[in-house]
Amino acid sequence: MTIARSRPTRQVRLKTTLIVLAAVGLAPYLFMVVTSFKTNQQFADSFWQISFPLHFENYSVAWNQVAPYLFNTAFVAVLSIVLILVIASIAGFVLARYRFAGRAFIYGAVLVLMMVPGLANLIPLFIIMKDLGLLNTYIVLVIPYTAGGVVLGTILIRNFVEGIPQAIFDAARIDGASGARMYRSVMLPLSLPVLGTIALITVSEVWNDFFWPLLVISDNSLRTVSVGLQFFQGQNVTDYGPLMAGYLIASLPLVALFTFLSKYFLAGVQGGVPGAH
Amino acid sequence: MLILVTLDTSTHVAPPAARPNRTERTPRKRSFRWWIYLALLPLAAVIGYFAYYPAVSAIFWSFFHWQPASTSTPLGFANYVTMFHDQIWWSSFRNLGFIFIFSVVAWIFPLLAAELLISLKSLRWQFVMRTLLIIPMAFPGVVTALVWGFFYSPNDGVINQTLKALGLEAFAHNWTGEASTALLSLLFVGFPFIAGLPFLIFYSSLQNIPTEVLEAAQLDGVGRFARFWQIDLPLMASQVRILVFLAVVGTLQYGFVAYVLTAGGPDNATMVPILRMINVAFQGGDWGYSAALSTTLFIITIAFSAVVVLVRRRGSTTSDGGAM
Repeated sequence: MTIARSRPTRQVRLKTTLIVLAAVGLAPYLFMVVTSFKTNQQFADSFWQISFPLHFENYSVAWNQVAPYLFNTAFVAVLSIVLILVIASIAGFVLARYRFAGRAFIYGAVLVLMMVPGLANLIPLFIIMKDLGLLNTYIVLVIPYTAGGVVLGTILIRNFVEGIPQAIFDAARIDGASGARMYRSVMLPLSLPVLGTIALITVSEVWNDFFWPLLVISDNSLRTVSVGLQFFQGQNVTDYGPLMAGYLIASLPLVALFTFLSKYFLAGVQGGVPGAH
Repeated sequence: MLILVTLDTSTHVAPPAARPNRTERTPRKRSFRWWIYLALLPLAAVIGYFAYYPAVSAIFWSFFHWQPASTSTPLGFANYVTMFHDQIWWSSFRNLGFIFIFSVVAWIFPLLAAELLISLKSLRWQFVMRTLLIIPMAFPGVVTALVWGFFYSPNDGVINQTLKALGLEAFAHNWTGEASTALLSLLFVGFPFIAGLPFLIFYSSLQNIPTEVLEAAQLDGVGRFARFWQIDLPLMASQVRILVFLAVVGTLQYGFVAYVLTAGGPDNATMVPILRMINVAFQGGDWGYSAALSTTLFIITIAFSAVVVLVRRRGSTTSDGGAM
């Protein structure tokens, strides 16, 4: 009897503690949502509670300023993803399925880069881009994301393709498939999960990267979300409602992707760890 | 892609028993398959020009009074000598040490959350709570930093307002503006630090503990706390070791929250190496010296990353294999 009664209470204690932990973690974001519907007066009256009426016009004010950053970020992300997937899937396929002189060397050269964080190259890469006259363009943003992405992408795709049973490729070959045909009709369809993971890692990288766009972009119309928001904060420092609405708008695409594709997202977070391969 | 069409298929019908990509030995001399190298050319060009070349050029230019637009004069090791006397640079490493210790101690929270979560009987509750705990990961880092910056702001900031409402005005601070509290304020961004890689790793390694082990422990009357010390921690040891090294590498990259909230100030109290490197180049215009700092940081990171890989390799052959 005592056992039967103490069991549920222990579980209830566990749940309460976990709910408190989750609530503390989510508090800043809930605060952001609540504040985004307020005027400064409402905020001054009570900064935690929801207060009516809700001011949806904060969102249209914020949207006008934040939307260009979102489009820039999305454009840069899509361009980077396309380049990464094309380059890395061909390279990963060739490295996994063919033997040739220099194979180990090329793969080793890719693996070494896993250990080098992009930030270490910040200064020299900036000068290279400046000499090429690429500052304040979309290309200057795409380049480092592509260079970083093909490294992880090639490794993930190569490992994945190595795991595909050879029998499948043999069967395709007996049916007369060429290398290009096997790449297109056998390997690509089977690799969709890993391609999706790479795409998500890239989106998250482009959305979060800060120092590179800060240094290479000074034209506000080309800014991506992270640097754009910092500028946006400077513009709206005293207008809390639109400020928070802008933060929320800038977060929503990433939060939506995370919610619907969290399995691939988490695979990406754990797969992106150096030394995991 | 079109290039691959010329592939000579006959040489590739390997004996079905062997796994060609591992063990196949070329039965006869093949003609030079140039299209393989053509297929790898984009990869080689991208990483060669945008990853290897910059790294090497940073090392090269760190020995110069580097003036990107005009002629640079060689300096020998002068930039590195300057670095050894750069107080701000070394104090930025002291800050990194503090950041590292803080972030490792802060694992108490994800560890606690993972232990509590694994003890929940209802799988649905586990799923819901896990999701709620990791949602903050989905928000862009800059949003988290800016919202916390809003909390810290001296006048209208939520923290000071709350203290005022509680009648504790004496405790109100200019949190990110005073040298004594600035670094700690930065580190508390993201409290309770559960949404992140440590939590995911703790949770998944706890999930991977075989139920037989836990049942055996229960039969032997091992309590929940004893279980943590005697079963959970030893089985997580190899993962924790990897996390420690990842935290080192992650700490070396620390900078973006500091830039957004304090820009390294006040009075360099929150200066970190990345910010110092950027300031030297973009505000001081001393590109050669910045390249020397960049090279130093690069070598330190490479050294630690190499350790991660070695530990990981050893960890996966011994403890993980043994545990499963």
